[in-house]
Amino acid sequence: MMNDKMSRRTLGAALLVGAGMMTTGTAVFAQDVTINFLSAQRDDIMQPMIKGFEAANPGIKVVHQSVPFNDLNAATESRIGQGDTSIDVLHADTPRIPAFASQGYLLNLDDRRDVIDAAVPNAVDLEQVSYDGSLYAYPMWTSTQLMYFNRDVLEKAGLEMPSGDPEQRLTWEALLDMARTAKDSGIKYGLTFQQVDRYYQLQFLFESNGAGSGLTGDEMLTPTITNDGWIETAKWYGDLYESGLAPRGVTPEQTDDLFINGEVAFMIAGPWAIARYENAADLNYGVAPVPYFEGGKPVTPTGSWSVAINPNSEKKDAARAFAEYISLDPEGAYLSIKNNPNILVNAEAFKNYSADMDGLTDKIGSAIDIISYETKNTAVGRPRSRGFVTFETIMNRTFSDLRNGTDAETALKGAERQLDRALGRIQ
Amino acid sequence: MTQRSAILAALAFLMPALVSVFLLRLWPAAVAVNTSLIPPGGGGYSLENFRYIFTDPVFLNSLKVTIVFLLIVNPLQIAISLALALLMNTMVPLIGFWRTVILLPVAIPQSVSAVVWGVALRPDGLVNAVLVALGMEPQRFLTSSDQALASIILIVSWIGVGYWMTFILAGLQDIPKSLYEAVRIDGANRWQQFRFVTLPQLRRPLTFVLVANTVANFLIFAPVQILTAGGPEGSTDLIMNTVYTQAFIISDPESAAASTVVLVGVVLLIVILQFRLMRAEDSNE
Repeated sequence: MMNDKMSRRTLGAALLVGAGMMTTGTAVFAQDVTINFLSAQRDDIMQPMIKGFEAANPGIKVVHQSVPFNDLNAATESRIGQGDTSIDVLHADTPRIPAFASQGYLLNLDDRRDVIDAAVPNAVDLEQVSYDGSLYAYPMWTSTQLMYFNRDVLEKAGLEMPSGDPEQRLTWEALLDMARTAKDSGIKYGLTFQQVDRYYQLQFLFESNGAGSGLTGDEMLTPTITNDGWIETAKWYGDLYESGLAPRGVTPEQTDDLFINGEVAFMIAGPWAIARYENAADLNYGVAPVPYFEGGKPVTPTGSWSVAINPNSEKKDAARAFAEYISLDPEGAYLSIKNNPNILVNAEAFKNYSADMDGLTDKIGSAIDIISYETKNTAVGRPRSRGFVTFETIMNRTFSDLRNGTDAETALKGAERQLDRALGRIQ
Repeated sequence: MTQRSAILAALAFLMPALVSVFLLRLWPAAVAVNTSLIPPGGGGYSLENFRYIFTDPVFLNSLKVTIVFLLIVNPLQIAISLALALLMNTMVPLIGFWRTVILLPVAIPQSVSAVVWGVALRPDGLVNAVLVALGMEPQRFLTSSDQALASIILIVSWIGVGYWMTFILAGLQDIPKSLYEAVRIDGANRWQQFRFVTLPQLRRPLTFVLVANTVANFLIFAPVQILTAGGPEGSTDLIMNTVYTQAFIISDPESAAASTVVLVGVVLLIVILQFRLMRAEDSNE
């Protein structure tokens, strides 16, 4: 019944288009295309690149539809999954690409591999948009994490500023000592993660401790989160909060304020946080590479948003032009970060980004050197699994339980049982 | 006008409502029932999805949490609403002001209330600051599996009681004054007036409030989604949150449909039971 209705609607649309072409000619038709772009970003972040594209491509209009991040999955699932043709281009979170691609929600881009390769030379960035050997999205941004520190707080506590050199990064053991000293000097908390309880920001702890991503197997559908490394690291995470060194009950949206208000000494956050911190006039801060566990290896999170095309789109040419403008065209790619300083994967546009960031070096230390080093040498992506969203959802709740004081082994065993069942539904 | 044309006219007037009921209620319900009977990956009708959810600790836990939540929140909200309504029905000074204050939270979206309460209930938040100033121990509220459900009850009741109060208040003002005069002549004290006049006369509004409140509380979602996502340790995992997670986060629409069918079944059962109980009392009098 649904499919029947869909195909009739598609047929109707095709007839209309056909009639339009017969009466007015193809040239006029191409002048008046409107494409819809679905994302989870604020409109002010997307507008510069949309304006740039519209100026360069008169006749194609782009309408941006923004939904909250937590609803983007639902929107993609319920609209593209049901054959909706009204979305042409969508912003795709890289770890969700295997699930979307395997369900046929994303257009295969293998015919554009040459141009994508040329614009985005880093293999890690291409892997982030691949599933089963094929490309399903144009890579746009990537990410890493930095350790921010409040210079005034550290000075007051008599602590040395951490080095910005990745070769001299701190161990977690050393950092926690400093955080304790800072807390004892009279501030509320020693350290916090910007995205508390989120897998994206915590995976690197487990990887640094040699415990693995938590998913294994040929198709990455087997949970492996009860080995010694996972339990040890999970306990370490819970202890941060049990001891009061890090804040309980704070949401990811509230952590930046703690840092801006000088209530926490160290903050693990993405480079995009710089935009907010730069607007805080009284904040005297610096950046350093994120710590690693003694005896383990330095690891950093990575991955971000890419742009994909709905295979049901009836305006694929216009959709492709827009997607390539904001990812492969250096001008469009640079506009895509005008109001949101994400790291660009486009090699040409990255030079502009890099020059902008260099202007901050005197004040906060060389963020751009750390970013370049980490994305090349220590970045480990989230597991490429069709079950990633299920995995992430259950893990985020587990991290939240750990933060609230649940015993590490109990929490991880419970999560592994849940994952076994839920991922079993996917196989 | 013949009877036949009268029926046709009535049908024509009813058509928009009937079409809406069909499209917005019956059809989606039929789709949900249909989906709930098809296992993931297709392959004929079976009860596989129900077998899956009834062996799923997460779903069973959410059923348990929902029942506990309802057993506490419904009597609590109705008792407070009734008490407030009785109070607001007396001649206290500035009555309009008090009624407005009590009703005000209804005008604030549930999501906004949840965010504001979430900040206030943070371990380093406003409520704990007040508790400490009063010489009490700070509490963990939403971050403790023992207190999170109680905190959610507090938040939804803060929103709910004013709303339900208005229905009871309207019922109170409908009670004829002569009934009170009559029992007073018979020597009834205040408690007896409440027990033998007010309560029986309030049966209709109370039945409505009981049923509507039960259904509303079954469907509580925003505060849980915003504040706890069902945690800590599943202690606030109300059933709507579980259904939402199944359907839209872990992409298991079949389980979600099966859970929805169970949810609707349970709600229907309880509502029928409530109507029966209220009617049974009726025939006793």
